[in-house]
Amino acid sequence: MSLNSLLKKIMGKPASKDVAKNRLKFALLTDKLDVKKETLKDLQKDLIEIISRYFEIDKDSISIDIQRSEECSALVFSSPIISANHNRGVPAAKIMPVHKSPANSV
Amino acid sequence: MDGKIIVVTSGKGGVGKTTITASIGAALALQGKRVAVVDMDIGLRNLDVVMGLENRIVFNIVDIIQGRCKIKQAAIKDRRIDNLYLIPASQSDDKNAIKPENMVWLCGKMRKEFDITLLDCPAGIEQGFRNSIVAADEAVVVCTPEVSAVRDADRIIGLLYAQSITPKLVVNRIVPKMVENGDMLSHEDVVEVLSVDLLGLIEMDEYVVVSTNTGTPLVLQEESKAGKALRRIALRLDGHPDLPIENPMIQKTFWKKLSSKFSRKN
Repeated sequence: MSLNSLLKKIMGKPASKDVAKNRLKFALLTDKLDVKKETLKDLQKDLIEIISRYFEIDKDSISIDIQRSEECSALVFSSPIISANHNRGVPAAKIMPVHKSPANSV
Repeated sequence: MDGKIIVVTSGKGGVGKTTITASIGAALALQGKRVAVVDMDIGLRNLDVVMGLENRIVFNIVDIIQGRCKIKQAAIKDRRIDNLYLIPASQSDDKNAIKPENMVWLCGKMRKEFDITLLDCPAGIEQGFRNSIVAADEAVVVCTPEVSAVRDADRIIGLLYAQSITPKLVVNRIVPKMVENGDMLSHEDVVEVLSVDLLGLIEMDEYVVVSTNTGTPLVLQEESKAGKALRRIALRLDGHPDLPIENPMIQKTFWKKLSSKFSRKN
């Protein structure tokens, strides 16, 4: 180990290769989650179709997004509910988990 | 028995694909195989100059595909190494001159003529890349220990798996001193990030520049560390998959060995 790297270690600076490795891991993760705008739009359309069977929802206030952080990534879908679609007679509790599901299930 | 088609690819340009293709080809021919190396970089050919065969080009790969010549007429025989042939790229066409179905046909013919055909894939993931992988049996992915090269290698590996090809990795231009100082990704780091099988490790070597200058085969340079690593890679590719991979290390002098012992105690 050279004097230079020894000094860096003493000063608590991380090795530049560890910085590189962490940046790489994060970049590869986000690269893999890179989804085309149209794909998300198609997903949104399908979700609306399915949810509408059970709930009356405000179609204009729906948002869908992939959120990334270092620990985990999530597909976040939020939709204001106006009322349950009672004609179906399906318990609402069964459908609730649709609101948030892990991205890796996409 | 039919021969193998092996593609050498990387995604990023300038990581050493062409030198590695030429060297593995030469090493395999020295092992007694009948080898063809094919330059797939239509419009930007370079394998010919790296191999020192640029003065002997008559026909090229596009001529073969468009029926203007036979494979045997386009294949240039290397006069220094027996059983080594180069099929050069065309310099005046572009990548769209060849279609994937043309490559399937050509590779079928190459399998009959040669034990091993190495395809030197162009950088990028466009037509030239698709042409190079469409009929390949195996793939060698080259990357250097840099974030840009590793990221591109990851993309390439994904695309190869989608074609049902399991790639093997060569890490090129390792500087052992920088790795030891924590200023360069080690091959362990690269393998961990890419989670792929390792085929070989090549140290940064000035002999590469010199042998490219003169167009002489690197694997004939006995003293070259890169040449030696490439000869071992060729053995691993053909018949000796379990040959141990040597990790490039700093050549330590007596005083350096002594001082590193001291710093470990501290």
